[in-house]
Parts: sequence; structure tokens; C-alpha cells
Amino acid sequence: MAKTPAIGIDLGTNYSCVAVFQHGKVEIIANDQGNRTTPSYVAFTDTERLIGDAAKNQVNMNPSNTVFDAKRLFGRRFDDLPVQSDMNHWPFDVVSDSGKPKIKVDYKGESKYFSPEEISAMVLMKMKEIAEAYLGAHVSNAVVSVPALYNESQRQAIKDVGTISGLNVLRVISEPTAAAFAYGFDIRGQGDHGERNVLIFDLGGGALNVSVLTIEDCIFEVKSMAGDLHLGGEDFDIRLVNHFVREFKRRHRKDLSVNKRAMRRLRTACERAKRTLSTSTSASVEMESLFDGIDFYSTITRSRFEELNADLFRSTLEPVERALRDSKLDRGQVHDIVLVGGSTRIPKIQKLLQDFFGGKQLNKSVNPDEAVAYGAAVQAAILNGDRSEAVQDLLVLDVTPLSLGIESADGVMTTVIKRNTTIPTRQTQTLTTDSDNQSVVPVWVYEGEGAMTRDNNLLGKFWLTGIPPAPKGVPQIEVAFDVDANNFLNVWAVDKTGGEENTITVANHKERLSNAEIERMVKEAEGYKEDDRHKDRMGAKNTLSGDKIPEEDRKKILDKVNDAFNWLDTNQLREKEEFERKKEEMEVVCNPIIIRLYQTAGSAPGGASGCGPTIDEVN
Amino acid sequence: MAKRDYYEVLGVAKTASDDEIKKAYRKLAMKYHPDRNPDNSEAEEKFKECAEAYEILSDGEKRSMYDRMGHNAFEGGMGGGGFGGGFSAEDIFSQFGDIF
Repeated sequence: MAKTPAIGIDLGTNYSCVAVFQHGKVEIIANDQGNRTTPSYVAFTDTERLIGDAAKNQVNMNPSNTVFDAKRLFGRRFDDLPVQSDMNHWPFDVVSDSGKPKIKVDYKGESKYFSPEEISAMVLMKMKEIAEAYLGAHVSNAVVSVPALYNESQRQAIKDVGTISGLNVLRVISEPTAAAFAYGFDIRGQGDHGERNVLIFDLGGGALNVSVLTIEDCIFEVKSMAGDLHLGGEDFDIRLVNHFVREFKRRHRKDLSVNKRAMRRLRTACERAKRTLSTSTSASVEMESLFDGIDFYSTITRSRFEELNADLFRSTLEPVERALRDSKLDRGQVHDIVLVGGSTRIPKIQKLLQDFFGGKQLNKSVNPDEAVAYGAAVQAAILNGDRSEAVQDLLVLDVTPLSLGIESADGVMTTVIKRNTTIPTRQTQTLTTDSDNQSVVPVWVYEGEGAMTRDNNLLGKFWLTGIPPAPKGVPQIEVAFDVDANNFLNVWAVDKTGGEENTITVANHKERLSNAEIERMVKEAEGYKEDDRHKDRMGAKNTLSGDKIPEEDRKKILDKVNDAFNWLDTNQLREKEEFERKKEEMEVVCNPIIIRLYQTAGSAPGGASGCGPTIDEVN
Repeated sequence: MAKRDYYEVLGVAKTASDDEIKKAYRKLAMKYHPDRNPDNSEAEEKFKECAEAYEILSDGEKRSMYDRMGHNAFEGGMGGGGFGGGFSAEDIFSQFGDIF
């Protein structure tokens, strides 16, 4: 039997998506609700933990225990500015645990604290389960995507998340690189195009990624990456929310922002309005008893929405300029501009981008919500040793997103590896001492583009000791930086005269979880899994394939379902009554079996399909 | 270890055109990239060498500097730059607590 395929996961800020490459093509895997993307939401209640659609569906009823946006906290310290500003918009609590952000929720009547990695691991585990349900086998290897500008600690965090959720992360791939794979895979089927310069513009819920690549035949050479880790659909939602809060205040002289639930409902409504405005020129927001018993009805036009976000929309072009500059290509040399990410559906953003490229047609050939997972699945197949014709010759040459260097005298950043250098790579710098008879040199490793290290991010530090006494400027100290294909950095320093050597794996620095912490989280994650007894009611389909149903019953249901599908295939144009009769026929056979099943499982049936919690505000 | 000549690394003549350099690099990248050679550190080293050579030779300016001065063109620029020094032993031990 062939080995189980490795999967590709797009672990998004708002939505996640999982795909697999098998039988020569990529398949996006739908979850137990039939959706091809799954909300990156985890909710905690008095009785259970919910992940994905089930969590998002109950967010308005349980705002302070429904966690989302965990990805925005990755590799961050509690005091970081972006963390502080995001916290103002989150209905859940974030607290500092010796400088690290932790999310506080009430679960089964107790206060629990979770790291963002743990929350994301829950989402990742969900994606893994979705894939396992589809493949009917245990999945252990995955490629997981991250925003282009994710730094070393954030990439490490993703690897840790994999470990916690029981997945071996074969590769941490940059989102626009993965999307490029999806695009390149697509155009490859259409004959030889020669060398093409492609710009990927990926604007999702939380981050903007831009990358410039050259695609020829099977080689994807990334030239440059740029982005904004804090710009996306969520920011546009927040602008809309603030707009309506102001309107509410004007009309009713009341500040609804003090009420978490009202704010959450408004936010959900704004997200919906924003989507509507991508296809219509106006959208309405209608909420009964939003705050203090006051009904709120309003409309917003597309042009007003664009005005509220004008500066944010314009700022999406900055990374485009930067990526082009770094790639040494002119606007005119770009053959294709490929749109990825849900927020590229916004007409104004398309217009700005198109104008920037002198009216050039934008390429919308890849599915904006699925392209990243699609590309990650292709990379997963390659790394898993898939030898099928479609992937065997593909190769992506990725780059470092940020410059890496060390601090030399007076806090100056000495770059050892420039950003957008092809990886894996090794580069060295020879430095010397600053004072006579200096026996120790500090090697402080930073990443970032600032000229001074204080503007950059400290990755790690060590000291090279035992340098023989010599006048300043004489010793030759070689510092070598080695970046592997995952963008993980190793640094070492050698005194070339004396032979002293010291190494640091920069991965082991403060923001990262310690091995002990990871081990604890793996154990706890297993424990939470046990807690999830209830979740099966969300997917009668999964239960059906389990061994809890007697073979005879299982066959009965499957036969009936297949029969119904066949009937549907050949009877697309029948009247509504006939469809309903068919459905009743099916229920007569299936319901008794399912009800019996729930009785043996000891939980009450929530209806044949398991409706789960309903949304209290469909408006 | 002395660095190999960049042209030799890519297996092209000193007079090679940009296109020839690119083609040679891509062929070698295909051959040595770690994705295609799992757990083969020798191949990975080869890839790094090729990528470095390509970075210089694919850039007109850097290539002409290399042609004139060889590897010296990109080394020794840091000669003057020193590490911040003047650490006393106590300083260091007090800070060791941060790392371990």
C-alpha cells in the first residue's frame, strides 16, 4: 500500500484550509459541515470545546470565551505594540504570563490560560482530523504556510504548534510562495510560456503578502517578498465597526462599545456588509435590540466604505513597490499579477493595483481562499517523496524574508545575510576586536532592516571567549550564518587565530516555548481531545464510517444514501414536492438507526444532521 | 578552506552570457536542492555554493567587481568593524543568567 499522503494546511488568521495531493491532482478537503474553509476559531463552554464552524456559530452568544486571531499573537511579547492595539478589539482576555501573551477563558466553570500556540494547535488538529476523515487514514506529515514576513521565532512557533497537534511539519512555507505554486501548477497545464515574472498579491484577513517570482518550466524562483503583518480584512471590519459605533452614538447618545456582545454582533454584521459591498454598491446592517433594547438599522454605500478605509487600501501598494524594487524588475516586466486572499475581492483594491500597473489586467485564475493550501499540498507531496509526473520535477527556490546580522560596535547592525537571499544559504563575515587585549566578544544576532540593532529584533546571543591577548583590530573572528530551507538560522563564531569556537541555534530563544512546555502541551492536547465527546454530533457522516454502527444498519443507510444520490443525479429538474418525498423516504430508513446510535452513545439526538448551536442573529 | 571560483562552481566560461549562467544555475539547483536530496548535507553544501555564485554572477555590477578582484571584492569590507568590547568578566556572568 502506498504511504499516506502528506497534507498542506493554510493556517489562516480567520480561516484555515486543508488540501492533499493524490492521484495526480490537488483536492481541497471539505470539513464535516461541507465547507472548504474552516474558521480558525476555538470556543470554550461549560460543557465542551468547539473548533471551527461550531465555534464561530456561537460567537455572538459566548464572545468572551470564543478565541480567534490567535495567529496575530505568534512569537510576540505581551508588551508589543500590535498586541496591545489588537487587544482593544478582542472580546476575550489576554494576560501576560512572564511577558508572554496568554488567552484567558472559562472552560467547564474553571479559568484556563492558553498560549496562542495551543489555540492554533487546536485549529491545526481540527484540520488534521478533517483530512483524516477524508483520507480514511492517519496523517502525520504536513506542510504549513505562514505569512511571508513571519520572523524566525514565529516560524518556529508554527513548528511547535505542529508538534503539539501531533503533526510533523515537513516545511514552513511562505504563503505567497505556496500561492505561486498553485498558480504555476495551473499555467503549466497550458503549454510552454517561457519565463514569466509573476507578482503574487495576497491580502487575507490578517496580513498582506507580496512576492515576486520567476517561473520557468518547473522552477519557481522567488525574487523578493514583502508584506505587512498587520493589514487585512479584519482591519477593514474594524473601521466599519467604528463607523457604526459613532453613528449609534450620534443617533442614540449611547456608547455601545462598552458591551462586548453588542460589539461582537456588530462586528459579525460588518464583516457581512463588507462582503456584500464587493458585489453591491450598498449594504444594510440590521440588528434588533443591539444595545439597551435599541434596534439598529443602517446602510452603508461602497464609496463610504472605501472612504473609511482609503489610507489602509492605499498602503497595500507599499509592499508591492518594495517587492518590485528588491526584485530589480520594473512594473512593465511583470507578466502576471495574481490575486490571492479573500480581501482581494474588494473592487477598490483591485482598481488601485490595476492602476499601479498601468491598467494591466489582473489574474484571478486561482481560488483566492484555497490557493495557499493548494500550493502547500503540492510542496507536501514533493517533500513526502511523491514521484508522480505532476510534481516530481517541481522546485521552489525560496528566500529569507528579513535581513539577518549581528551587532557590531556602537549598536550598528552588520548584515550578514541580506533579505531575499535564496535559501538554504551560508554566509560569513570576519570581524575583529574593539579594544586591546579583549578576550571576549559578544555575538548578538538580530533580524530586521534597521541600520541600528535597537530597531531590529534580537534573536539570540552568545559570547565567544578565550581570545588570546592581542592589540585591537588584530584577531580575526569569523561569524557564519547558516539558514536552512525552513528559514531556521544557526550561527557560529570562530576565532581564526586561536581556534575557539562557539555555536548557537538561534531557535532556542526566549519567545519560544521550551521543550518542557511543548511536552506539557502535547499531553494536555491529548486530554482535551478526550473532552471532545460531544463533537461527533456535528458530523453524522464521521459516525457513519465508525465501528459503532452494526454492519447491517450501516449498509442499509449507505444503500439508501447512494440510491438518493443516484436519483438526484438523474432527476435534477423535478418539483420540490418530489425532492421532499425522497428525503422523507430516506429519513424513514435512516432516522431510527441514528436515534438508536445516539441512545447507545448516551447523548440526546440533536436531529439527524446535528444542528448544533444556532446563530442568534441571522437578521 | 579556499573558496572555489564562481565560474567553476556553475561550470560556465568566464565569457558566459547571463542566460547561460541562469540556465547552468537552475540545472544545478535542480540537482542539489535539499528538497530533492533529503538528508544529504553534501548536496545542501553544493547548493549553497551554487546559490552564492549565482547571486554574484547574475548581478552585472557584482560580476564585474568579481572579475576584477575575485573573492576579495566581497571580503574584508568589515575589517575595520569591531565587536563592541570592554566587557568585564562580571558583566558576562551576570548576563549569562538570561540565556540559560
